[in-house]
Amino acid sequence: MAKRTSYFPELKRNWWLKHPYFKKYMAREATVLPLVFFLLCLLAGLYSLLQGAESWQGWLTFMQSPLVIAVNALAFIASLFHAWTFFQLFPRVMPLRAGGRTLPPNLMVLGQWFGVVVVMVLAAWIFMRGL
Amino acid sequence: MREQDIDIVIVGGGGAGLRAAIAAAESARKEHRQQRIMLLSKVYPMRSHTVSAEGGAAAVTSEEDSLQAHFDDTVAGGDWLAEQGVVDYFIRHAHRELVQMERWGCPWSRKPDGSVQVRRFGGMKTARTWFAADKTGFHMLHTLFQTSLKYPEIERLDEYFVLDIAVVAGAVAGVIALEIATGELILLRAKSVILATGGAGRLFRFNTNAGIVTGDGMAMAFRHGVALRDMEFVQYHPTGLPGSGVLITEACRGEGGILVNKDGYRYLQDYGLGPETLLGHPQNKYMELGPRDKLSQAFWQEQQSGRTGKFGDSDVVYLDLRHLGKEYLHERLPFICELANVFINVDPVKEPIPIRPAVHYTMGGIETDAHCETRIKGLYAAGECASVGLHGANRLGSNSLSELLVFGRLAGEEASQRAATVTFADSTALKEQAQAQKIRIAKLYDAEGEENWVELKRELVLTMETGCGIYREVAGMQTTLDMIRDLQTRYRNIRLQDKSRAYNTELMQCLELGYGLDIAEATCLGALERKESRGAHKRLEEDLQQRDDVNYLKHSQVFFNAEGPAQLRWQDVDTHLSAPAERAYGDAGKGIKQ
Amino acid sequence: MTTKRLSIQRYLPEQGNNTPYWQDFDIPFDDSTSVLDALNYVKEELDGSLSYRWSCRMAICGSCGVMVNNTPKLGCQSFLRDYEGPVKIAPLAHFPVEKDLIIDMGLFLDHLAAVQPYLINDSRLINDSEEGTETFKQTPAQMEKYKQFAGCINCGLCYSACPQFGLNPEFLGPAALTLAHRYNLDSRDQGKKQRMPQMNREEGVWSCTFVGFCSEVCPKNVDPAAAVNQGKVESAKDMLIGIFKG
Repeated sequence: MAKRTSYFPELKRNWWLKHPYFKKYMAREATVLPLVFFLLCLLAGLYSLLQGAESWQGWLTFMQSPLVIAVNALAFIASLFHAWTFFQLFPRVMPLRAGGRTLPPNLMVLGQWFGVVVVMVLAAWIFMRGL
Repeated sequence: MREQDIDIVIVGGGGAGLRAAIAAAESARKEHRQQRIMLLSKVYPMRSHTVSAEGGAAAVTSEEDSLQAHFDDTVAGGDWLAEQGVVDYFIRHAHRELVQMERWGCPWSRKPDGSVQVRRFGGMKTARTWFAADKTGFHMLHTLFQTSLKYPEIERLDEYFVLDIAVVAGAVAGVIALEIATGELILLRAKSVILATGGAGRLFRFNTNAGIVTGDGMAMAFRHGVALRDMEFVQYHPTGLPGSGVLITEACRGEGGILVNKDGYRYLQDYGLGPETLLGHPQNKYMELGPRDKLSQAFWQEQQSGRTGKFGDSDVVYLDLRHLGKEYLHERLPFICELANVFINVDPVKEPIPIRPAVHYTMGGIETDAHCETRIKGLYAAGECASVGLHGANRLGSNSLSELLVFGRLAGEEASQRAATVTFADSTALKEQAQAQKIRIAKLYDAEGEENWVELKRELVLTMETGCGIYREVAGMQTTLDMIRDLQTRYRNIRLQDKSRAYNTELMQCLELGYGLDIAEATCLGALERKESRGAHKRLEEDLQQRDDVNYLKHSQVFFNAEGPAQLRWQDVDTHLSAPAERAYGDAGKGIKQ
Repeated sequence: MTTKRLSIQRYLPEQGNNTPYWQDFDIPFDDSTSVLDALNYVKEELDGSLSYRWSCRMAICGSCGVMVNNTPKLGCQSFLRDYEGPVKIAPLAHFPVEKDLIIDMGLFLDHLAAVQPYLINDSRLINDSEEGTETFKQTPAQMEKYKQFAGCINCGLCYSACPQFGLNPEFLGPAALTLAHRYNLDSRDQGKKQRMPQMNREEGVWSCTFVGFCSEVCPKNVDPAAAVNQGKVESAKDMLIGIFKG
């Protein structure tokens, strides 16, 4: 049998720069970075609470520095962006059926945002009451 | 050259080929035979042209329907040129095959209770066409291909171009094929060979067919002395898109679509198909549900009278579906909506679709007996490439998808049966024939002629359209026949630009053209000699516009002649179940036993 | 007639060119000229050695997939009128290239076959009996569940859109996983148990990171990304059940 001479183009590390769609995908995946920072902050807060008042004050000061606020604001936006992409995908992954018909995707997306608002209001209510 | 011994070789991976392969595998299992089955195809099986079939597959299904009715529709639809024993076998086995497809997972459209839905089709007395939306061929082909994966005994050689069959002492002995990926030849010694290579619609300039529908298998059998039968009957589908020829299914009319000319007038009522039926109430065998030959002929008449519209360069009439409504159209005819949108930027929900007739189907083909066997022992043919005698002078829409199941299966079973009883032919004679193919290919590579396949192909498809179109007359056909013979001579002086071995698609197209020239000759010769009008063969000469049962209730058989022009003979037709009668539709068909 | 410049990636190893290169052609075009028409024009008028696959020209056979300006497309369904400036045509990404625009589909077919893409049902094959006339019952609602996923034409565009397949060709990929899911969802099928081991593998559904580009490029709106990710839910359930059963 004659040898077949194939050319196999290898995927380079920067493959995701080659198409706008892949850049958007990487942006979605990159939302994890500011979120990780936010989580670390949270953990540090808990830790400093255990360490005593001085430590806690230090943490509060750290959290009020403009850079930290900026990164955490970014984390907030990133989480909303991620939620947005996730909510868009959800109806395709878990198509819900009612009365023999698939629920319209838009309705499911709206439902999820409604859930977000409810959780936020609930959290706000708990914190406000605490103050 | 690589060599293999295969019990059953199947050439062509479309519906008929795949069905044959599965049937052969099933037969072998049932009889506890160890048989190697090899399916060769010049494209991956799921690319085969069966995939483009849209409307559906016919079988007697409902309580009100009867086998007799399907028989009568088919025989009358074929203008009494069908082999009636074959039609009888077909209508009895079609339903079983469609059920089998369902059991293999084919997503037939359903009624609310979960049973199979049927739709109306042209020339059929009642609704008996099973469908999977408007992608029936696609779903059937993929179901068959996927099911074939269940059988380890079915081996495949994908993208192998079969060059020739090998014949030793009047019996088939194998095939010689070219591996497209490398350009290497392979010799398969075989006990049975099934040709399932499809039609030859690409002989005509304007057609609904895929690029691969070039009639290779027909030409191979032809060159080995098998008759090409009834080749003059070429079906023009009345509704192709202007420009490309892309098929717009007859199911559009089955679901209630209407045809109007440029004045918005439903012109079919003027051609023996009336009276006009109510909008939204299609009636079987009336108006838009007449047979394809009549509808295409009516278009031609309208065109001659200047009542067709224009779309680009094409003369067109209009298929109006708007009254069916968006929801219904998207459920029943989603593919049509997509095609019209993509290819001519027309939304059928909002506008009528401009359409014109396009060559669609080859009624004739490789002559076989009622068991799909040709006059070469062990060589079978099934599907569009074959002339088992089902369609006569005009095929009814939705009979061909059923045909490839019924006769694909029969061919597969017969081939398996035969392979169990014979031995392989002596390989010396086979090798000689393989060597001849090797030389033929080498010559093509080395040829330094001046002719170019593109030019020859263009001249061929143009002259076929001019001489062997919807209406035909002697001068035009004679010119075309002369032209074909001239092209055959010029073909010997051809030259390839691409000299590479791997994936030489230019070589493929060259070979296909060579086969096509032979088939074109048979088609044109049959048309020229059939001095009557019957079914899809319509003559313009005043004294030839009627059917002539006295002289031409006969099949044409064209035989290859290496030394000179092809020879034509006539063969009797089996009419033992239904004597020829008047073929009429619309109100004119009322009261006639059909 | 106006012309458009086509840059076609050529690969002709037999001519001693072991790396691909670009070749430009100027193509006359109008509103109806597809990329496939343009390729045919090149082959018939300019360079007979150009190799590519095509057949039905109506977007159903799945032969003519190519990269058009870096995006996987069916040539017959993409029109020159829709592109500003020159158009770059290359073979489908992530597959070995054999010649010009022709790729090796072998692995794709292996992946398809691996998921047992056929109806598995214990009830006796009616092929055995002469008079079998019983179809399964399946309501339109039952069919609706899988119908979309049965629309795959095996064109391979989704594999060219999938970076995970590009990084690891052993990944079964969107089309094969969609086909498996199609049969798993079919009310007539009983073969899910047999298919799940393939789905559960690392190279099964779990290689997918829901990039989603596969569904974007699918010419038949099959939405393979949805099928694969529904497959993840099924796979998770299957593995959980497996744990509980021990």
